[in-house]
Amino acid sequence: MVDDEPDMCWVMECILRSKGYEVVTVLSGEEACYQLANRDFFFVFMDAKLPDMDGLEVVRRAHAARPGIVRVVLVSGYHYHDDPVIRQAINENLICGFLAKPFTHSDLLNALPSS
Amino acid sequence: MSAKDMSPNRFELLYGMLLDAIPSSVLLVDEKLHIVSVNRNFLVKSQRGEAMTVGRPLAEVFPTIIMENTDIERRIREVFRTGTPVKGQRMTYRAPGVPIRIYYYSILPIPTNQVMLLMEDVTEQVRLSEEVRRVERHLASVVESASDIVLSTDTEGRILTWNSAAEKLSGLSTQEVRGQYFFQFCGSNQQQTLRKVFLLMKSGNESHTTEFPLVTSSGDSILVSWVFSPMKDDYGQTVGAVVVGRDLAERRKLENQLRQSQKLAALGVMAGGIAHEIRNPLAVCYSAAEFLLMDNISSEFRNECSRKIQAGIQKASAIIENLLRFARPSPDTEMVQVDLNTVIKDTLDLITNQARVQQIRIQLELEQRRPVLVLGVSGLLQQVFMNIFLNGINAMPDGGVLSITEEIFEAEVAVRISDTGMGIEESDLDKIFDPFHTTSPIGKGTGLGLSICYSIAQQHLGSIHVQSSPGKGATLTVRLPLL
Repeated sequence: MVDDEPDMCWVMECILRSKGYEVVTVLSGEEACYQLANRDFFFVFMDAKLPDMDGLEVVRRAHAARPGIVRVVLVSGYHYHDDPVIRQAINENLICGFLAKPFTHSDLLNALPSS
Repeated sequence: MSAKDMSPNRFELLYGMLLDAIPSSVLLVDEKLHIVSVNRNFLVKSQRGEAMTVGRPLAEVFPTIIMENTDIERRIREVFRTGTPVKGQRMTYRAPGVPIRIYYYSILPIPTNQVMLLMEDVTEQVRLSEEVRRVERHLASVVESASDIVLSTDTEGRILTWNSAAEKLSGLSTQEVRGQYFFQFCGSNQQQTLRKVFLLMKSGNESHTTEFPLVTSSGDSILVSWVFSPMKDDYGQTVGAVVVGRDLAERRKLENQLRQSQKLAALGVMAGGIAHEIRNPLAVCYSAAEFLLMDNISSEFRNECSRKIQAGIQKASAIIENLLRFARPSPDTEMVQVDLNTVIKDTLDLITNQARVQQIRIQLELEQRRPVLVLGVSGLLQQVFMNIFLNGINAMPDGGVLSITEEIFEAEVAVRISDTGMGIEESDLDKIFDPFHTTSPIGKGTGLGLSICYSIAQQHLGSIHVQSSPGKGATLTVRLPLL
């Protein structure tokens, strides 16, 4: 769970923990890159705009470091559903979904793969 | 000298040489009004030979018209009778075939029972002074016909002249204002500004542009744009000032519309950052509310949710308030004491969001020890910094550093705003303050931002300069006089 806004991390942690997930939150792009390169994650919620880096750039680096492993949903208040940037990222298989802020809890949970 | 050299003959010769050398006409006339002698100058001017002149009656040598107009014979007789000289009379003389000449003449009694008629040619002086008068009349009519206020003052700012446009706009006649200090007719708070301008003009050559109201005889204020220029004498000393003022009512109305639309354009640029920044607290509130709807949550968690909602709403509302403050048209343009640091910080608050979404780091170095006080309209100054900050941000689509440093000098403050963006082409450097000059794609920029900044800075007696080279970013320096 990558977001520079601590309250956003709080929200998502609360939702995901209540469903039994283990959550690691990081606040910057740099730290996210480090974690993604060194640990396996079932799933990543990635904020699109981080203070030091673009969320999509973090994803690109993660894919480059460990191809085909990370599944990412981009979470953002900056983009909208049919935003060309989002569409392109999905087409390039960089991300597997997009979640616009604000979202309902079921929106968030639905974004997770059922497996 | 030998004895021979000292003979009376020698004196006569010397006297004759002196007479011939002086640039005036000299005639000696006897009691019968016959000419006894003349010098060379007279013969040349009148185009006569000596034989045709000496021994002849005056009336034969001077044209009839002169004899009649000047009544010179009567005057000479009068001098013979009273022994009192006649001085500085004017005579116009035209010898056949030469242009008109003007003389001043004097008639002086001399002991040999003769009078001396001295005639000085002042044609050129008269022509010059007429020319000067003509130019003066022309200049006066230029100043009088101007629809702008034109006035002149001494170096202390006391009014010397005041044209009809000034009379018309102010309702004050020249008599009422002459000798009075100019600042007495300006809006309050201008005394210090004006003193500074007059001080600068004493030592410098530059003109100074500013805006402040003129107070009319009925007590109304008219906003006027003023240009103060030092008036120099031949030695480069400032001897006074020329002040030209233009009524800004109409222009101000247009400018306000322009500033307002430019502001809205700037809001468009900020929209992305704003959306991001408001949707974060909204998302937190939304989720927290959803948690509250769930059963079996602890009272501790319930409280935490409430606190998150309140904080989120406060955050979103603060962003909106900042925006409203910026978007709202400035109600007035009265200059008051403003802390520049507050203006800069408030403006930064508005653009931080946009900077963040573009991965731009903001470096701020402001004077910490005391407030930086200037005379200004804070809404307008904010617009200046907003434009420059946004330009810097726009120049760094892939992130960078926007640094703002403040330097305090004796009489002014310089704020340098640097970006690490694409920089400005040299050919564009002297155009960036022109209205409608833009290198942005259509729909991205109006090309008005910096021209508006420039006019606002001028209105504050300040300036904006730009330094840049392509690929190396740009630095804009805003200078404002300190209070």
